[in-house]
Amino acid sequence: MATPLVVFENVVKRFDEFVAVKRMNFEIREGEFLAFMGPSGCGKTTTLRMLAGLEQPTEGDIRLAGKSLLGVKPHERDTPMVWQSLALFPFLNARENVEFGLKMRGQDSTTRRKKAQDWLERLGIGEFAERDVNSLSGGQRQRVALARALVTEPKILLLDEPLSALDAHLVIRMQGVLTKLQRELGITFVYVTHSQSEAFAMADRVVIMSKGEISQIGSSRDIYRTPANRFVAEFVGRNNIFTGTVNATGAINTPAGSFEVDTKAEAGANVSFVVAADVVSLAVEKPKVRNVFTAQLISEEFVGSMVTLFLEAAGGMEVKLQIQERALEGLPREPGQQFFLSFDPAHAHVLKG
Amino acid sequence: MKSLARKTDLYAIAWRLPMLVWQGLFFIGPLVFMVAMSFFLVKNYRMEPAFQFSNWEKVLGRGFFWDSYFLTLWLAVLATCVTSLVAFPASYFLAFKVKDTVRRWAVFFLIIPFFTSYLVRIFAWQVILAQQGVINAGLSFIGLGPFTMLNTKFGTMIGYLTLCLPLAVILQTFSLAQIDKRLVEAAHNLGCGRFRSVFTVVVPLAKTGLVVAAVFCFILSFGDFVAPYYLGGSKPPTLSIMIIDTSKSGQQWPRAAVIAIMMIVTLLTVAFAAIGYAYRKRR
Repeated sequence: MATPLVVFENVVKRFDEFVAVKRMNFEIREGEFLAFMGPSGCGKTTTLRMLAGLEQPTEGDIRLAGKSLLGVKPHERDTPMVWQSLALFPFLNARENVEFGLKMRGQDSTTRRKKAQDWLERLGIGEFAERDVNSLSGGQRQRVALARALVTEPKILLLDEPLSALDAHLVIRMQGVLTKLQRELGITFVYVTHSQSEAFAMADRVVIMSKGEISQIGSSRDIYRTPANRFVAEFVGRNNIFTGTVNATGAINTPAGSFEVDTKAEAGANVSFVVAADVVSLAVEKPKVRNVFTAQLISEEFVGSMVTLFLEAAGGMEVKLQIQERALEGLPREPGQQFFLSFDPAHAHVLKG
Repeated sequence: MKSLARKTDLYAIAWRLPMLVWQGLFFIGPLVFMVAMSFFLVKNYRMEPAFQFSNWEKVLGRGFFWDSYFLTLWLAVLATCVTSLVAFPASYFLAFKVKDTVRRWAVFFLIIPFFTSYLVRIFAWQVILAQQGVINAGLSFIGLGPFTMLNTKFGTMIGYLTLCLPLAVILQTFSLAQIDKRLVEAAHNLGCGRFRSVFTVVVPLAKTGLVVAAVFCFILSFGDFVAPYYLGGSKPPTLSIMIIDTSKSGQQWPRAAVIAIMMIVTLLTVAFAAIGYAYRKRR
């Protein structure tokens, strides 16, 4: 396991009465791509800003490479950031923007110029070096911002929703640019986003935050398959959450049916469990497996080769089902059509609390 | 379609008409007349329409006009620089260091000086700056002075600052407050210290507003009559005092017109150059 590059120890951040971050403890490993994800106001940007020194923690300690950052001014840290608004200097051209950090470090103009030009070329916008940043396209500006942050060869790069202003097709392309860069450079990326697809696509580990607290830290797969709590399960969004009571035989009675799930809860206890949308099976004839229930097709959403079906089970519960479009060939797909749904007990994940 | 286009044209003109009429009657008209008058002849203290260049030769050919011209230019430039420099820290503080409500109150208090006539404020300064005035009385307690402040260039400068400073602070504050604070944070983030960021980021970002404030200071000071007359003692005269003197002595309105035209040309040149610089676009 890699050594921690950043340690947050009991970090609390309050703005007057408002608690933005509640007692946070976590580590960022050297060389990892860590994404903070959560709804707006969850404290993810505040966390990033504390790392950059733009906010001071009210309590607790933040250590970078073993040294406490308390009292270290933002300009004394080497924690460059790529901003949501990009924050390019409009009075400088693309190359001068990239040179800015080097200039502040007192490097001579020839070295500065060369390094800046190299970075712009590396990111594929060498020919725009002398252009006014306002005359560049969104994607090009994005690359200037990246080059500006990376030119000083930092150990860690902070990214605050850098892709949120881009068109959908550019987002996918920039995701590729970012992951490739991170792998090549081997430096730590700390990425804040509210977009699940960005976080899951790029990050080694994802931190899910809610109301100033960490709900779960783990790989995309962990978070998707084994959400730590109801908030994470709902936030990830492609999950079906069943809630019910354990009956005398150990199965769980829910409005949609009675299911066998691996739980140690005693009879009478309230239990919620998650079944991911892509592990639910669908059939027209009743299959001879466990955990079968019926539901009626409401609508479907076509996403490339996959289809998401929205169905309604007994008790009005909405069930999401993700399946290969090809697997549905030959099946009746009128709204109102009744299907038999089922899932393997091993694929059900019981939520804590 | 054609008639519609004409209709909207008329509509646009209707909105501009009051302004055009006003400017035509009270600015362009008098300006043209003044230019014409600069070629008139004065005989027996009476002005006669003519077209001759003796007024221009008499004014521009004399050393004392140019002495006064460069004195006025120098005083106005100095007032512009001093005002901009004195105003900037205050504006910076108001724009970045205080809450919105405090800033609003500050701007309100900065407008209050405009409630009283400039002339009245200058007379108040006479009382303060005089040989037996408030400042010298105060200084005599600690055994200093008296200092001569009235009828000096220092007095003139005090007057110019009285005229320009509140306006400069208001204009600078507005332009600084509009700066995207994230750009300043980005500068800190890239290793730029707080003090250094004022010059590397804040000033370039607020350039337009700062230049506009400076241009206002220059225009107001360059053409001001009250400060150099009542606080500066009118000797040596600035151009505005010279205009009064020339027009009073022997009805030399045409020569006064020459001086006025020289002032207008100077102001236009400076204003256009400065605004051009402020709004200059990068490639």
